[in-house]
Amino acid sequence: MKEPVIELENIHMRTDRGGHVFRDLNLKVEPGQSAVIVGSSGCGKTSLAELLVGLRFADNGTVKLFGDTIRRRGRRAIRKARKRIGGVGGPFGLLPMLTVSENITLPLVIAGERQKLQRERLLRMLSEFSLLKVAGQYPENLTRVEYSLVQFARAAIANQPLIIIDEPSAGLDPKTYRRVFEFLVKVALSGRSMLILASEPVGREIPGTVTYNLVNGELA
Amino acid sequence: MTRIAHIVRELLRNLRRNSGTALASVLSLTLLFLLFDLFWLAAGTSDRFYQDLLSGIEVEVFVDEEVADSTIASLGERLEAVEGILNAGYISREAARERLTGLVGADLLVGYDETNPLPRSFVLAVDQEYLTSERLEQVEREVEKIGGTGEVHYSRVWLAKAENTKSIFLQVGLALGALILATALVSSTNNIRLMTRARAVGFRQMQLLGAGRLFISLPFIVEGFIIGGLSAALGWAIIFYGRTKITFSRIEIVFPSQDDIILFCLVTALLGAISGYFGLRKLLKEQA
Repeated sequence: MKEPVIELENIHMRTDRGGHVFRDLNLKVEPGQSAVIVGSSGCGKTSLAELLVGLRFADNGTVKLFGDTIRRRGRRAIRKARKRIGGVGGPFGLLPMLTVSENITLPLVIAGERQKLQRERLLRMLSEFSLLKVAGQYPENLTRVEYSLVQFARAAIANQPLIIIDEPSAGLDPKTYRRVFEFLVKVALSGRSMLILASEPVGREIPGTVTYNLVNGELA
Repeated sequence: MTRIAHIVRELLRNLRRNSGTALASVLSLTLLFLLFDLFWLAAGTSDRFYQDLLSGIEVEVFVDEEVADSTIASLGERLEAVEGILNAGYISREAARERLTGLVGADLLVGYDETNPLPRSFVLAVDQEYLTSERLEQVEREVEKIGGTGEVHYSRVWLAKAENTKSIFLQVGLALGALILATALVSSTNNIRLMTRARAVGFRQMQLLGAGRLFISLPFIVEGFIIGGLSAALGWAIIFYGRTKITFSRIEIVFPSQDDIILFCLVTALLGAISGYFGLRKLLKEQA
């Protein structure tokens, strides 16, 4: 039996000022399933993304990704998990010193994939997200929409089994969001999992998606 | 292959974006290594000078009065059989008188026309490796065991002083060398740290994509390797250029062998690579 993609058990996390970010947070996302976490601004959505990629750590509870426990002292497990995650928004920014093409192919470079495969997939991503014109640009020269699309392209290129998306609609016009939405449906149909963190309910139409509300550090 | 291409690309990007800092790094390291090279030349030249002085040490063994002239040849053979002695040259009373006359003039020997009070002796040619106080004492003990030999004479005090001076020079040299290399390491590490500080955000993103420390550090390790090796090579290039312009009539400067220079450049390149690793280590650790 395959391990759950995400497994959070009794997560407690406090802020530096003593308040609660999470209290007794539990979440399980099975392979092929997706979860949408809806919560107001400042409720801890980005903290949840950071918790999953090992940028922050819970005071209590267990974080498991692909069956591996994410601990402060388990750098190898963190790195292994990060390689299997594609990220958009929140903590997943673009590398300012790399061009759009280089940013998009970076997950494949880190994975040590062949250059031929890199080129093929890059071309596909550039055309799929209409980024051919800006392929040689640096992130500082991109519009907000282009920046988001590059993040989506980077998250999609390596076919990682989990994509974390922090505010998928941020900065996107309705037309672009429609395209992004089509991409999300395609990801869901391909059997990959997603964790979508949003301020407003999104993605109800995405197959295999469960929506949760994040209120007062708990999921409901 | 993919990763090598990435490393080369990143390396060239770093050098292009930070060309001023890289150039300053090469220049400061070149000057440091130039200092090191000059001290190396001084050490090599003084060592040659010391060896020349040592080769002039004369070890003399006096022959007992009772020994008959007929057994001198066999005594010489026994001396030559002692480990460390290459040759034992016999000095007869007459030859000793001639030597003394040559040294102090005939006036001092007035009154000794009929008699010759000078003893017979052997002048020993000692292997270069045995020209130390400790090993010469060892030779002396072996010589004294041979019957028919008397006092063994050589410049003990001078040798001890020369050895002491050499030892001090060596210690100072080692300390200075270590200091210069440590300064080079710190300076290079600091330069790489300065160059990478501005890229902290990018490194964090790379780590978020699963890149390991080595993957991120490698371009900087290679950069450090190149800057270290290049600086050392430039230092030697300046020395050899200077050699064509400046001539020393009284001293023959001893240059290290080509192999030693290549080895030195490799060591400094390695030092640069280490500085590349250390330059980034803390930053990547903080962000991990």
